Amino acid sequence: MRESKGSAKIRWFWIWVTASLIFRLILIYFPKSLNLSSRPEVSTPLTSIRRLAEGYWLKQSSLSPYAGSMYHGSPLLLTLLGPLTVRRVEGQPDHLLCSLVLVIADVVTAMLIRAAGQSLKMSSSSSLKSVGLHHVLEYSEVLPSGDIAALVYLWNPFTVVACVGLSTSAIENLMIVLSLYGGCTRQAPLAAFGWVMATHLSLYPAILIIPVVLLFGYGPDAPPRKLLRQRTKFDNSSSIDNSSVEKDVKNQLRELNFSWKPVLHFLFWILLWSSYVLVLCGIYARQHGGLKELFRRTYGFILTIPDLSPNIGVLWYFFAEVFDFFRNFFLIVFHGNVLLMIVPLALRLNHRPCFLAFVYTVVACMLKSYPSVGDSALYLGILGLFAYELSDMKFSFFLFCGYVGVSLLSPVMHNLWIWRGTGNANFYFATAIAYACLQLILVVESVSAILNHDRMLTKLTGAKLQDVKA
Amino acid sequence: MAEIAEPKLKQRPIVRLGIFLISHSLFVSIVCFTAGVLALLLLPVLAKNTYISENALMPGSANNMLSSHDTSVANKLVKDLTDLKLRSRGSEFDSQKLIAQYMFDLGAEVTHHKFYPQSNQFHPLHFFTSPDSGNIGKNISCSSLGINTVGIIRAPRGDGKEAIVLVTPYNSMKVGVEEAFSLGIAYSVFSLLTRATWLAKDIIWLVADSQYGEYSAVAAWLTEYQAPTFSRAHIVNSETCRESNIVYKHGQKPNAEEKLYDGFRRAGTMAAALVIKVAKQSDYFEDTVNIYAEASNGQMPNLDLINIVNYLAVHKQGLQIKVSKMWSLLNYRWLYTLGVVFESLGQIARSLNPQWKFGIPATEYVEGTATLASSLYYQGLGVPTGPHGAFRDYQVDAITLEISSKVPLTKMARRNEFLIRGGKLIEGVVRSVNNLLEKFHQSFFLYLLTSPSKFVSVGVYMISFALLVAPLPIVAAYLHVEASDFGSIQPKEKSASQASSASKMNVNFDSWKWLKSARKVFAFHLWGGVVSVLPYFISQMPNLTAKTSFIVWILLSVFSLLVSYMISGPSFSEAAASQSQKKEWASLKSVTISAAFIGLSLTSVINFATAEIGALLIVPICLMARPLKLDIKASNLISLMRITSNLVLGFIGFPPATYFLLKGVFEGYSGINVGDFWEWLESLWAWNSATYLYIGLVHLPCWALCIHILFHHC
Repeated sequence: MRESKGSAKIRWFWIWVTASLIFRLILIYFPKSLNLSSRPEVSTPLTSIRRLAEGYWLKQSSLSPYAGSMYHGSPLLLTLLGPLTVRRVEGQPDHLLCSLVLVIADVVTAMLIRAAGQSLKMSSSSSLKSVGLHHVLEYSEVLPSGDIAALVYLWNPFTVVACVGLSTSAIENLMIVLSLYGGCTRQAPLAAFGWVMATHLSLYPAILIIPVVLLFGYGPDAPPRKLLRQRTKFDNSSSIDNSSVEKDVKNQLRELNFSWKPVLHFLFWILLWSSYVLVLCGIYARQHGGLKELFRRTYGFILTIPDLSPNIGVLWYFFAEVFDFFRNFFLIVFHGNVLLMIVPLALRLNHRPCFLAFVYTVVACMLKSYPSVGDSALYLGILGLFAYELSDMKFSFFLFCGYVGVSLLSPVMHNLWIWRGTGNANFYFATAIAYACLQLILVVESVSAILNHDRMLTKLTGAKLQDVKA
Repeated sequence: MAEIAEPKLKQRPIVRLGIFLISHSLFVSIVCFTAGVLALLLLPVLAKNTYISENALMPGSANNMLSSHDTSVANKLVKDLTDLKLRSRGSEFDSQKLIAQYMFDLGAEVTHHKFYPQSNQFHPLHFFTSPDSGNIGKNISCSSLGINTVGIIRAPRGDGKEAIVLVTPYNSMKVGVEEAFSLGIAYSVFSLLTRATWLAKDIIWLVADSQYGEYSAVAAWLTEYQAPTFSRAHIVNSETCRESNIVYKHGQKPNAEEKLYDGFRRAGTMAAALVIKVAKQSDYFEDTVNIYAEASNGQMPNLDLINIVNYLAVHKQGLQIKVSKMWSLLNYRWLYTLGVVFESLGQIARSLNPQWKFGIPATEYVEGTATLASSLYYQGLGVPTGPHGAFRDYQVDAITLEISSKVPLTKMARRNEFLIRGGKLIEGVVRSVNNLLEKFHQSFFLYLLTSPSKFVSVGVYMISFALLVAPLPIVAAYLHVEASDFGSIQPKEKSASQASSASKMNVNFDSWKWLKSARKVFAFHLWGGVVSVLPYFISQMPNLTAKTSFIVWILLSVFSLLVSYMISGPSFSEAAASQSQKKEWASLKSVTISAAFIGLSLTSVINFATAEIGALLIVPICLMARPLKLDIKASNLISLMRITSNLVLGFIGFPPATYFLLKGVFEGYSGINVGDFWEWLESLWAWNSATYLYIGLVHLPCWALCIHILFHHC
C-alpha cells in the first residue's frame, strides 16, 4: 500500500517537472510580448544576456569584452554562452539556444536540490534514530522535502521569470546548488568545483565556503550535538548489549568531532580548481590587460557599485544619494555587513550547515550590489528542503502575501516612475525596502523556527531519558 | 500569526495594539467602512481652491497682443474653408492644401504627415509592455491614408529644444462651421506668434485629420514624433502609396507646394499641448469653455495647466468654465439633504470657532458631488476623453478646450468677437507656458476636480480609500488566527506526555494549512485570467452581435469555471472531508480577503478611481461573506438579516449586474439592452484600460470566491 502510494507520488513529481518544462518552453516563444529580458528585476548588469551578447561581439571584433561598460561577467561564461547568442534559428525567437541552456540549467538545479534533499533526509533520519526519537521520524517521512524543494524551485514564478528573461543567474544558482549537493554527498571535487565556479561567477557565494566546510567536517544537518553526546553517555552507562546500536553510536561518535581529513581534501580540490580557473582566465585576458584588469572589471564592478541603475536591491538608491567623499566608507560598511553576520551565524547553526547556507544566501541576496529575482528563487528553493523543520514557522501567510504583493507592486511602481512620470524614484525604492524587510522577516522567523525545533528535540530526548531512567 | 491568540506575559505596545485590533475586527471593520463612505461623501466639502503653484507661469501678467488684423485673416480662412465645402468639387486634399498655404504665407515651416489609422486592438499580452511596442497593422490600404498638416514656428529667442503644441482636429471630408472656427482661432494665435518677439519655445500647430477619429490621428503623429519606427513594412507601404501623394505635386500654387519639405519635421520636447475645439451653440447665456483632462487610465495633466486656463478664462476673458458633471445626481433629494446637514454642521463649527472654515452651501455641495462623481467615473473608466489623451502617454501635459458661443456662429457680427475672445485665451495660455523654465512639476498630478476652481488632492482622497480597505487585512488576520488556532489548543493541555508531543507534530502543520485555501484562490484567479482573455477569441469570430457575443462569453466563462471545478474537484472534496472542515471556510475567506486587499491596493496605484469604486462594491461582500448554511441553522433575526444582505451584496457585486443597475439608476431602465455591457467592456479593452484587467483579474475572482463561501457546505 505504502509502496504504491510512494510510486504514485513519484509519478506526480515527474508530471509536475515535465509540466514546468513545457510551461517554460511555451513562455520562451513570447519574448517580444513579455519583454522580460529588459526588466530591471530580472536582468542586472551582471546577469543580462544582452550585455553578454555585446561582450561577445566586442570579443569577436578583437576588442576587450570589457571595453566600454557593458559586460562585467565571467570570461568563461562568455566563451560558453557567447557563441549561442549570435546563432539564430530561422523563424524562431532570438536567443532560443541560450534560453534552452538556461531551462536545462534550471531542471538540473532542481534535480540536484532533490538529491541533496534525499541525502539530507537519510542522514537526519539516522541521527534521529541514534538520539532515539523514532516517533518523530514517522512524521518527517510524510513530507518528501527533497521533492517539495525541487518543485518549489521549478514552479517559483521568480525562477520562471529569471529563466524566460534570459538571466544568467540560473547558471550561478546551478553552481551554488552543485557545491551544496557535493557537500551533502561528500564528493569533494564536485563541491569544490561548484564553489569555485559560483564564486568566480558572482563573488558573493564565497561565503558559502563555511557551510560547505562544516558539511565535510560534521556531516549534513542533524540535531544539536549536545543531544548525541548525552545519548551516547547514557548508552554507555546503561550498557545495553546491542551490537547494532553500538555500531550506530560509534558512527555517530565519529561524526561528533570535526573530521579534518575530508575538509583538507575539499580544500585541496578548491586549490586545484581555482588555479585551473585562474589559468583559463589568464589565457583569456592575456591580450586585454591581464588578470588584474579582468578582476578590476568584474569583481571591482561588484564591489564598488559604479552602476546605479535601479534594481530590486537597496544599494543603488543609497549610493545615488550619498556624498562622494563618504562613498568608500559606506561601501566598506555595507560589504562588512555581509561578513559581520557570518561568524555568529556559523557558531549558532554549525550543526545545520545546509540551513546555514540558506541563511547566508538570503543575507547575501539582501545586501548584494546587483540583486535579481533569480537569487530569491534560489533561497526559496533551498527553503523547501526544511519543510519539516519549519512546519511551525510563524507569519508564513503574511510572508506569502507580502512576497506576492511586493512582486506585483514593484513593476507597477517602476512603470509609474519611468513611463508615466507621475511617480518618482521613491515609489520604486519603497517596494525595494519592503522586499528587503520581507527577506529579513523570513530569515528571522526561519532561524527562530529551526532553533525552536532543536529545543523541542532537546525536550523530547530529555523526557525520554527520564522515562527510561524511571 | 498563530502566537497572537496565546497571550504572553509582556508584549510590546505595538503588538498589543495589533492584538486589540484583530480581536475586535468586527467593530473595527464597521467603523472603518462607514468612515470610508463618509469620507468619500465629505470630499466636496474638503475640496480646496486651486492656486497657481508654479511662479514662473505668471498668467495674465502681459497685455494681450492679439489684434483685429489677426482675427480678420483668421476670418478669411474660415470663410475660405466653408466656401470650399460649399463648392465641394475639389478633391479631399484641397482643404489641407489651403491650410498649408495659409501657414506657409505666415512664414512657418509646413509639412504633411501621412499616417495609417490604427484601429485599437485588444492584445492580452500588451498591457504590461512599454508603450512603444505597438506594431503597425497588417492590412494597410492606401485608401485609408490620413494626412495631418503640421506648421512649426521657430522661436526667435529659443534654442529649439522645447515646444508648445496646438492641436485642431479637422475632418476634411465634412467641414462644419465649428471645425472651421477652431481652425480660425488657432490660426489667429498662430499668425500672432509668427510676429511675437518674446517666444522662447517653438510652436507646433497640428491640424489633425480626424476622418478616422481624432485620437488616432494625434496618436499617429505623436508616435512618429517621439518613437519613429524604422520597420521595413512601413517604408514599403509608403512607397506603394506614392500614387495618392501625387496630389501635392501639381498644386495650383506651385511656389508654396514645391517648397514643402517631404520629410518629418520636429521641434523640441513638448512642454504642453492644447487641443482646441469649437462646439455648437452653448445652452448658457455666456460663452463657455469646457475642459476635458482625463487621459488613459485616470492620468491627469498637471493641475497648473487647468489653473492657467481657468484663471485666464474667468478673470481675463469673461468666459465661463465648465467641467463635466453627472447631471442625474443633481436631482437627488438625499444628496441635497446631506448637503444641508453638512452646511448646518459647518455653521455650528463656525459658531464655536470662527477660524474653522468648514462647510459649503448645500447647492454647491450637490454640484460638487456631481462633478466629483463624473471625475471619478471618467478617471475610473480609463478611456481618454479626447485627443489630449495621446499626449499623456509621452508624459506631455495636455487638455482639450471646447469653446462654445452663446449665439449661433453663422451670425457675421459675432464672429470677430468670438475669434478674438478664444484667440486671446489661447494666446495667454501659450504665453504663460512659454515662461516655463522646466517641465510642469510644481502642482498636482493626482487629483479629483469638484469644480473648475476646486480640487481634492491625493492626500485627501486617499484617506477614504484607505479607510475602506483597512478592515481587509485586519479581518484576514483575525480569520487566519481563528482557522489555524483550531487544532493547536488541544495539545497544549497535555503537553507533558509523549503522546501529545507526537500529536503536536501532526497538528502543527496547521500553520501551513492556508496553502490549501491559497491553491483554491489561485485557481479562481487563474479562471479570472481565462475569462478576461476570452473576449479576444470571441471578437475573432465573424458576424456576432453584441448580444450574442455577450451570451457566448458568459456561457464560456461558466463552462471554464465548471471545468476547473471538475479538474480540481477531488482535492476540494478531500479538503472538505477532513476533520477541520468547519474552519475551512474561514481560512478560505481569509485568503480571499488578502487577495482582494492586494488587488485593490495594486489597482489604487494604477488607477485610483477604479480602486475606489471597486472597493465600494467588493469590500462589503468580502467582509460579510459567511456560509448560508450556518445562518440558516441559526435562524434568528441577525442571521436572517445577514442572509438577505449577503444575497443582495452578492448580486450587486456581479459586474454585469452592477453595470445594469448603475445604468438604470443614472439613465433610466427603459433603454437597457443586454449587449450594452459587452460594448462597454469592448471599449474598455480597445483602449487598453486597466479597469478591464481589474474587473477580470481582481473583482470577478474575488466575487466568485465570496459566492463560493456563501454556498459552502459546512
